Amino acid sequence: MDMDDALQTFIAEGRELLEDMEAALLGIEHDPENPETVNAIFRAAHTIKGSAGLFGLDYLVSFTHVVESVLDQVRAGELAVSTDLVAVLLTSCDHLSDLLSWVSTGEENLNDDMQRKSASIEQRLSTYLSGSSVAADVVESSAQEADAAAAEENDVCAAQDAAVSDQDLWHLSLRFGHDVLRHGMDPVSFIRYLATLGTIHHIETLWDELPAADKMDPESCYTGFEISFISDESKETIENVFEFVREESSIRIFTPDSRREEYIRLIQELPEEDMKIGEILVRCGTLTRCELEAALSSQQQSDESLKPIGEYLLEEKAVQPEVMSAALNKQKSVKDARPPEASLIRVDAEKLDTLINLVGELIIAGAGTNMIAQRSGMPDLMEATETLSRLVEEVRDSALNLRMVQIGATFNRFQRVVRDVSQELGKDIVLKISGGETELDKTVVEKIADPLTHLVRNAMDHGIEAADIREAKGKPAQGNLKLNAYHDAGSIVIEVSDDGGGLSKEKILSKAIDRGLISDGSGMADKEIFNLIFEAGFSTADQISNLSGRGVGMDVVRRNIEALRGTVELDSEPGKGTTVKIRLPLTLAIIDGFLVGVGNSGYVIPLDMVVECVEYGAWKESGSNSSCLNLRGEVLPYIRLGDYFDEASSGQRRERESVVVVRYGEHKVGLVVDRLMGEFQTVIKPLGRMFSRISGISGFTILGSGEVVLILDVPGLVQEAESYFSEHEKRAISA
Amino acid sequence: MAKTVMVVDDSASLRQVVAIALRGAGYEVLEACDGKDALSKLSGQKIHLIISDVNMPNMDGITFVRELKKNPAYKFTPVIMLTTESQEQKKKEGQAAGARAWVVKPFQPAQMLSAVSKLIMP
Repeated sequence: MDMDDALQTFIAEGRELLEDMEAALLGIEHDPENPETVNAIFRAAHTIKGSAGLFGLDYLVSFTHVVESVLDQVRAGELAVSTDLVAVLLTSCDHLSDLLSWVSTGEENLNDDMQRKSASIEQRLSTYLSGSSVAADVVESSAQEADAAAAEENDVCAAQDAAVSDQDLWHLSLRFGHDVLRHGMDPVSFIRYLATLGTIHHIETLWDELPAADKMDPESCYTGFEISFISDESKETIENVFEFVREESSIRIFTPDSRREEYIRLIQELPEEDMKIGEILVRCGTLTRCELEAALSSQQQSDESLKPIGEYLLEEKAVQPEVMSAALNKQKSVKDARPPEASLIRVDAEKLDTLINLVGELIIAGAGTNMIAQRSGMPDLMEATETLSRLVEEVRDSALNLRMVQIGATFNRFQRVVRDVSQELGKDIVLKISGGETELDKTVVEKIADPLTHLVRNAMDHGIEAADIREAKGKPAQGNLKLNAYHDAGSIVIEVSDDGGGLSKEKILSKAIDRGLISDGSGMADKEIFNLIFEAGFSTADQISNLSGRGVGMDVVRRNIEALRGTVELDSEPGKGTTVKIRLPLTLAIIDGFLVGVGNSGYVIPLDMVVECVEYGAWKESGSNSSCLNLRGEVLPYIRLGDYFDEASSGQRRERESVVVVRYGEHKVGLVVDRLMGEFQTVIKPLGRMFSRISGISGFTILGSGEVVLILDVPGLVQEAESYFSEHEKRAISA
Repeated sequence: MAKTVMVVDDSASLRQVVAIALRGAGYEVLEACDGKDALSKLSGQKIHLIISDVNMPNMDGITFVRELKKNPAYKFTPVIMLTTESQEQKKKEGQAAGARAWVVKPFQPAQMLSAVSKLIMP
C-alpha cells in the first residue's frame, strides 16, 4: 500500500466522520445537555486533524484545530451550545468537506479562494474562543496575511497558539552573568538551543541592568530574558540547556500549572521509603538536583536559625505550594507508617502470644489470690494483693498494647490497589484515607486485609459508575472511595464508603426471592434488604467482571469478619453511594468483664458494652407484659437472661433483679439479671467446636475461684432482642 | 557559512569520531593533537568553538586555554573541556583559565553534539 492509497482511505474516512459530525450537530440543538453528542463531534474533528497531520496537510490541520478548540470548550462546559454556534460549526463542516475534496486534487497548497474561506470561518470561530486574546490576535493577523505566501505556516502557528493556555506554559527567568560573553558563551545560542526542545511562546528581553553608555563594558553581558515556553520535556532537561552558564547566572524555571497534578500523582506513587523532602521533590521531577543543591547551600549560609528546606523552596517559588504539601504529606505518611528503625525490636509473634497467654494465666491466678486474701480478712495481705492486682492490670494493658498496630499501613496499601483497579476498569477513582492512626490487634489487622480488599474492589467495580454516567448524573467525573477507621464503644469500626450509584433495593429483593433467600420482601426495612447481599450466593452486578461479582464475595467477607467476632453492615442511598461498616473487637484475648449472676451461674458481659445498670423492680410492679421497657422515655427492648438460658430460679434472690443496659453499635438492649457482681478481668477462652453454634454465648473464662463462667455474645443478644421486639410490635399492631 | 570547530586531543580515534559527528551535523572541523599543535594552527582565522582534552603531551589543555585567551582574536571563543569525573581540581584550574563548558569522558557523540549546539548553532 503506498501513500496515495492511504490518502484515499483518509479521504473516505474523513467523509464518514463529517457525516457523523453533521448528524450530531443537527441533533445537539435538540439535546444540548448530552455529553455523548458533543464528544462525538469533537472526536470527528480530532480524528480528521490527527490523520491530516500524518499526511502533512497543514491547511487541513490548522483549520480543524480551530474547530477542535471551540468544541473543546463546549465539551468542557465553558461554551454553551447556541443556534449561532451550531450554524458556524455546520459551515465549518461543509468547508472541511471542501477541503477534503481539495486533498483529492493532489495540490499541495490551497488556492487563494479557499484560503480566504478558511480564514473567514476561522475568524468566526475564534470569536467563541474565550479567555485567550493571544489566539484571537494571531488568528486575526493570520487572516490579514492570508494572501501572503507564508499564510499557511502562520495558520499552523496561530492554531498552535490558540491551543495553549497559560496552564501549559513553562516560565523561564534568565539573568545571565556579566562574564558569560568573556567565557565564550553567547546567551542567544542557549535560547536557540532551548527552541529545539519546544516552542518559545513569548520572550521578553530585559535591559534594566544596562548601564549608561560611558559606564558600559562592551565585553560584559547585561541582558536577562523572561521566556514563556511550551515543551513536554522534563524540568531537568530544560535546566540542562543552561548547564554551562548555570554557575555564574541566575536560571529559574517555573513549572506549568498543568503539570501540578502529574507531580502530585508521581509523589503519591513513590515507594514508601523514608526520604528527605528535597529527595521526594527531585524524584517527581518538580525540582532539579541543581536547584536543590543551591537551596541547601544558601539554607546553610543564612545566619538565621535553619529554616526548613521546604519553606525555603516555597519562598523561592521553586516548587508550587500544592506540590510541596503533597510531598510533605507523603513524607509524613511514610514516617507514620514506619517509625525510626533504631527504636524498634523485632519480636517473633509466637513469643508475644506466649506472653499474652501467660498474662492471662497471671490474671486468673491473681484473682484467686485476691479472693483468698479477702476471705482471710488480713488487712496487710489485702493491701498487698491490691497493689499486685493493679500491677497485673498494667502488665496486661502493656502486653496487649504490644500487639496493637496502626491500621494506616494496611489502608495505605489500598492506594496501589485503587490505582491499579481503576486503571483496569478505566474509571477515575481516588482513595481518601482517614483514621489511619487507629490501633487494633495485629491478628485482626492481618485478617481484615482480605475482606477489605474485597469490599474496596466491589465498591470500585459495582459501586462507582463509569465517568460518563457520573457526569450525566451531575456528579464529578472522579469517583471517591473512602477508608475510615475509628474507635467506638470498645470496638473498632472500619468504614468503606463510595459515592457511587448505591444499591438497588428492587434488584436485591427480586434476586433474593429468585434465590429463595426470602419468600417475600414486604415489611423489610431498607437496611435488612441491603444486608441480604451478605447472604451466600448473591450477586447483583449486571455484568460479571473478573474483579468481583462471581457471587462468592460478600458472604465470604461476612464470614471472615464474623470469625473475628466482628459484624458487618451496609447502608446505601440510591444515587449517593454505599457505606459498609465493619465492627471489630479491639482485641481477641483479654477484656474487662462485668460479672452478673443469673440463677446459680455467673455470666460475663464485656464492660465496654455496658452503658448502665438500673433496678428492674419498678417495671416489674407495673406488670407490663410487653417486649420492651420505658427507659426515661426511650424504648428499650429487653431479654430476661434467666428465661433465655433456662436457669433454675434461686428463689428469693429474684426480688432484686437488675437491668444491665448494653449497647452495640446503634442499638441498646436491656439484660435482666439476678445479681450484679462487679468488674472482672476476663481472659477470653474460645468455646469448643461443639458449642460454637449456641446463640448468646461467645466464649468462657475461669474465675479466680476456679469457677467457669460464660461470656455473653452481646452483638448476638442485641440482634435477637431487636428482632423479637419488632415481631412483637408487629403482632401488637395487627392485633 | 558553516561554523568551524577545532578538536584538540592526543587520541586520533577520538578526534575522528568527534569530527565525523560534527561534520555530520554541518560543522567544519579542524584537528590538532595537542595544545602546541593547536596554537600553531590558529592564525587568526575565525574559529567558533574549541573542544580540548585536558591531559595531552607537549602542552596540556589548561595551559592551552590560558594561552588561547591571550590572543584577542580568540578571547570570546567558547571552549568545551573534556574531562574525567575525578578531575575536580583540574576543573577549577580550567575555569580560572576561562573554560566554562565541560563534557565528561567517556561520552556518546550525541552528547557532544548537544553540548556543542548549546553553545553554537551549525
